[in-house]
Amino acid sequence: MDLAETVLPAGWKAHLELEFERRGQRSVLASRRHEGPLVVQKSLHPEGEGICHVLVLHPPGGIAGGDHLCVLARCATQSHSVLATPGAGKWYRSSGAWARQDIRFELAADANLEWLPQETILFDGALADLRSEVRLAPGARYLGWDILCFGRSGSGERMRSGHCRLHTRVEIGGKPVFVESGDLAGGAAQFEAAAVLGGHSVCGTMLAVAPACDKALVKACREHGPERGQGAVTLLPGVLVARYLGDSSEAAKRYFTRLRRILRPAIMACEASDLRIWST
Amino acid sequence: MALQADLSLIRLLQLASPALPVGAFSYSQGLEAAVEAGLVHDAASAQRWIADVLAYSVARTEAPALLRLTESWQSADPTGVAERNALFLATREAAELRAETVQMGYSLRRLLASLGVFDPLAVAQLDALDEPAFPTVFAFAVSQWRIEARPALLAYLWSWLENQVMAALKAVPLGQTDGQRMLLVLGDTLPAMVDDAAAMEEDRIGSFAPGLALACSRHETQYSRLFRS
Repeated sequence: MDLAETVLPAGWKAHLELEFERRGQRSVLASRRHEGPLVVQKSLHPEGEGICHVLVLHPPGGIAGGDHLCVLARCATQSHSVLATPGAGKWYRSSGAWARQDIRFELAADANLEWLPQETILFDGALADLRSEVRLAPGARYLGWDILCFGRSGSGERMRSGHCRLHTRVEIGGKPVFVESGDLAGGAAQFEAAAVLGGHSVCGTMLAVAPACDKALVKACREHGPERGQGAVTLLPGVLVARYLGDSSEAAKRYFTRLRRILRPAIMACEASDLRIWST
Repeated sequence: MALQADLSLIRLLQLASPALPVGAFSYSQGLEAAVEAGLVHDAASAQRWIADVLAYSVARTEAPALLRLTESWQSADPTGVAERNALFLATREAAELRAETVQMGYSLRRLLASLGVFDPLAVAQLDALDEPAFPTVFAFAVSQWRIEARPALLAYLWSWLENQVMAALKAVPLGQTDGQRMLLVLGDTLPAMVDDAAAMEEDRIGSFAPGLALACSRHETQYSRLFRS
């Protein structure tokens, strides 16, 4: 059965706004506002008081044409927060309306934010506009990844129709340091082009933004690779970029999880520990 | 008038020539890594790779950057130049691609300064820029020599293409006739890219080329290499 957009009332707007602060030794979710079906569970401190973990939930479970999701997190100085999602984001086939997601993170100086979502799955026929923007004050630190699946690769589906637009922008002190922008129509030549997806269905990008990102860290990351598919690491000023290209979102997650064990202690001065949600 | 147009064309040919001493010949922009990975192994696969890098990276980053930088220089807007320069650098997919444009920009800036033919006030603005990228300095010369933006971009893309084809002749390797055939076919695609670059919305500037980014990142540790990118 095809999951059509009729599963949801078309055009749901969901907005989630979070603010993290440091109070004494404790990082806390100081405020949250939400409209529509995008919520957070109670914040947790599984690693001790200093690091606040929050799971972002989208109870409908999928995004249909006309939906607009918006997540905004502001991280005050010295706060350390970890945002994750419990399940893959599914973008359903649309009969005409675009669905859109805006993710925006604002980090004050000396704030730490980690963004560790499960993969985004674009169903064949989805019309998806995905935008993310990370704005860091100088001295802030960010570690995040995004894993995109073009089609439900598990069942061999490819994105033969529909359209996907991607835009990622990272700024430090108002100056852009990493910008990526893609425009892929279903079935377009980019899916096969070796310089773009090379016939692969899963593409992942992990970014570590911190003054401590250097060549030694790149070298340490290069000791590892994904068990399936290709991975590579490069260094732009203040930004370490790891990429995955292959056909397994699980391999991408495991690759990035392994790199996080190296990157997290190096740039955020805290212990390497995997999210509990990954082991379930 | 006719003389001015002729001189603009001559200056543009000088700027876009492989004889311009900015070291372009030493970069393959991922092509050498694509050969190493077996993605490029003959004339047909080289042409496909170059066409794709042109369409999905260069046309979406360098092309709109050059047009907008030319406008900013023409309207004597140093803030606009600095912003567009920073945006262009942020679209570089890997360390070597970024280092390449910064080195070529540096070399062209030094060259232009030594020629001593430009308005000193404009040269001071160019000197004040932090890490001017190659298209930024190219656009400076275009505006100083009163070259029109459209032919300037066509020539810029042409010289990129010619440099890639020359790299393919060495790295694959291929014959001269293969190279000229490739230039004929891919040259036809340039005018439409100029139109697209002019119409591109600001927040659509940027590439999505993970295959290229991976190839360039891997080139950093490639054991045997002729090129610097």
